[in-house]
Amino acid sequence: MSNILEVRNIHTYISQFHILEGVDVEVPKGGIVALLGRNGAGKTTTLKTIMGLTPPRSGEIIFDQEPVQGRPSYEIASLGIGFVPENRGIFRDLSVLENLKIAERKKGDLDRKSDFIFELFPDLQRLIKLPGTHLSGGQQQMLAVARALVPDNRLLLIDEPSEGLAPVIIEAMMEAIRRLSSETTVLLVEQNFIVASQLAQHYVIIEEGRSVQAGLMADLVHDKATIQRYLGAA
Amino acid sequence: MPNLLQTYRKNRTLIITLVILFLLLLLAIQGMSTRDWVVTVLRGLAVGSITFLVAAGLSIILGLMDVLNLAHGTLFMIGAYVGWSMYVRPDTVVDATTPFLLVLAGFLLMPLWMPLLGRLRLGRSATRVWPWIALLAGLALLALALTRYPLSIWSGTEYQNSPIVWNQYFEAGTVQENVTPATFDTIIAAVVDWGSLLAGSVLVGLAVAGFAIARRGPTAQAARSVARPLMWFALVAAVAIGLYVVNTPLSDFLLSLSSNALFVLALIVAALVGAGLGGLMESTMIRPLYDRGIYQILLTLGLGFIGVEMVRSIWGRTGFTMPKPALFSSTGDGCPAESISGWLQHQCSTIIVDIGGEPARIRTYNELFVIAVGIVVLIAVWLLLQRTRLGMIIRAGVQDSRMVEALGINVRRVFTLVFALGVGLAAFGGVIAAPATGLSDTMGATLLLSSLIALAIGGLTSFPGAAAGAVIVGLTQQFIIRYGQLGINLPFLAEPWKPSPPLVPASVILLMIIILLVLPQGLFGRSE
Repeated sequence: MSNILEVRNIHTYISQFHILEGVDVEVPKGGIVALLGRNGAGKTTTLKTIMGLTPPRSGEIIFDQEPVQGRPSYEIASLGIGFVPENRGIFRDLSVLENLKIAERKKGDLDRKSDFIFELFPDLQRLIKLPGTHLSGGQQQMLAVARALVPDNRLLLIDEPSEGLAPVIIEAMMEAIRRLSSETTVLLVEQNFIVASQLAQHYVIIEEGRSVQAGLMADLVHDKATIQRYLGAA
Repeated sequence: MPNLLQTYRKNRTLIITLVILFLLLLLAIQGMSTRDWVVTVLRGLAVGSITFLVAAGLSIILGLMDVLNLAHGTLFMIGAYVGWSMYVRPDTVVDATTPFLLVLAGFLLMPLWMPLLGRLRLGRSATRVWPWIALLAGLALLALALTRYPLSIWSGTEYQNSPIVWNQYFEAGTVQENVTPATFDTIIAAVVDWGSLLAGSVLVGLAVAGFAIARRGPTAQAARSVARPLMWFALVAAVAIGLYVVNTPLSDFLLSLSSNALFVLALIVAALVGAGLGGLMESTMIRPLYDRGIYQILLTLGLGFIGVEMVRSIWGRTGFTMPKPALFSSTGDGCPAESISGWLQHQCSTIIVDIGGEPARIRTYNELFVIAVGIVVLIAVWLLLQRTRLGMIIRAGVQDSRMVEALGINVRRVFTLVFALGVGLAAFGGVIAAPATGLSDTMGATLLLSSLIALAIGGLTSFPGAAAGAVIVGLTQQFIIRYGQLGINLPFLAEPWKPSPPLVPASVILLMIIILLVLPQGLFGRSE
């Protein structure tokens, strides 16, 4: 089975702080991989490093057989990686439609994808004219995921999709991610273990900037000791 | 209706402030006749419109790149001077284009050097030393070749050949008779000079690539395309030499154009030169400093001073006027006009309009054309921001340029483009201002101060704020000037109080302080 993304022993510094001290992640094509770990373990930085937003000082990042480390963010994104950041990155001065349109890489991307996007997130169609400022947290999260679906991305990096959302909305969000993962591979950062364990088939645990354990989610849910040790009470 | 109410609640302070400013404007009519009021408002709008041309670029650049470009005023001034040159001495501009294009051609070969030099295996010390030698040799060649290049140019120091005298020739329509074409004595001298210019810029380009390799080590990358830089090099060099060949007929053609056509050309040339300077400045000097705000401020401040000195050495220290284009300059038959159609028919410099029973003299260039240009640019930039993909990227980038980049958009290129557009707009504004205010080496600094205040009033990075701020600054200045002539009747004072001239700049700063005390974010600023 071929991996769409391989991260090998990356070290990342933010100013002089050594944040990632050797992270390995393998993402097989298709399905969902969850990055797990406590607050501040380096999950978000791992996603940002893959995206080129905090470039690694050493190590390799191979996307679809192509090394991408050290290349500018926009080139990495153009290879087919969509990024849904922790703060959702919705542009306040742009309407919902413009927030989607800005993600187009070819003319007509949005027209081709709009049926799929509005089927996943029917709410967005109703809000299409509203400025980004007027959206609730859940709506912003939907828009951020929808935006990553506009171009032909082969991998989505989604950071904390359930954070700060009401339980009903989390359910809807999970359903949407599950459905879109049949078309696009997803690398998910998720603090909420219950959400992560229901979505992902694979997991990688990051602890203090190192990847310490990886495997099948089906095995991890029974491994109470590991969950207790690395993720706190599950 | 509920929507309106909601808007009001959200922007209560802003709306109240604008209403107060509007009421003050109405109140001003008490102290002067309707005619004076209308003329003063028109003058204020004109000053505001020129301030806006500078402030617009300044605010978009500040919003998108967090760069406060203190050289913006100087670039406005350079635009004015370049525009004057194209307007009065187009032959000089044609002369100067050839050496400029030759130097540019040499730099166009730069994409070839990195991969080519990467293959050379030189010793460590050789890698360090040769770029310096190449740089010095290149600069020496350029200096030699450029100073020897024949230009038919005015003189900044000698009165008989000064811009002032050329202005007189221009108004008398005798520029063409007084121009002496500048050419090389022999074809050999020409070829040697052209060769030196090309060689000099190639050497400087090599040195730049060499410095990059010495710093970062050689890159193994192959040239993306060898043919493309070579093709551009050949094309630009050919155009440069072609221009020299057709220099005289081209200059004669340009000198025979009407002043209206020349003015339009001057606007285009100045905007292009401004955009080129802006693009060059961003891509070579500001880009390495994006993470170091204080260095950027020092850099742009320094560049501003260098620009002023360059203007002084090329155009002289003495300020001069720029003759108005024919459409706005006639004082003869049928002038002053009494209607717009009368003005267009006789191309008058002034229109007499009856306001409140008194005849008011309104200058067609200063008080009508300048305002019209301001409004057109306002609408054009607004459409660019709201209706185009570039505008969408700018609005998104103002908030979070890294997120824009993570969507797959080359934000660096957008930065360079926006910087070039902003500076081009300021240079364009310089040409618009020149016939109204004249040219001087202080025009940039004055306008930079006004537009910084306009920005602070409007909310720094807000585009409508920059426009509103510029108009407020212009109106305040003009009303204080007018009251300085008329006097204000204040209670408990026996004589009308006349604000003295130093109060003109002070009043604007005072207004800024008041507005910022009430609305710390400025009129249209967003509270973070």
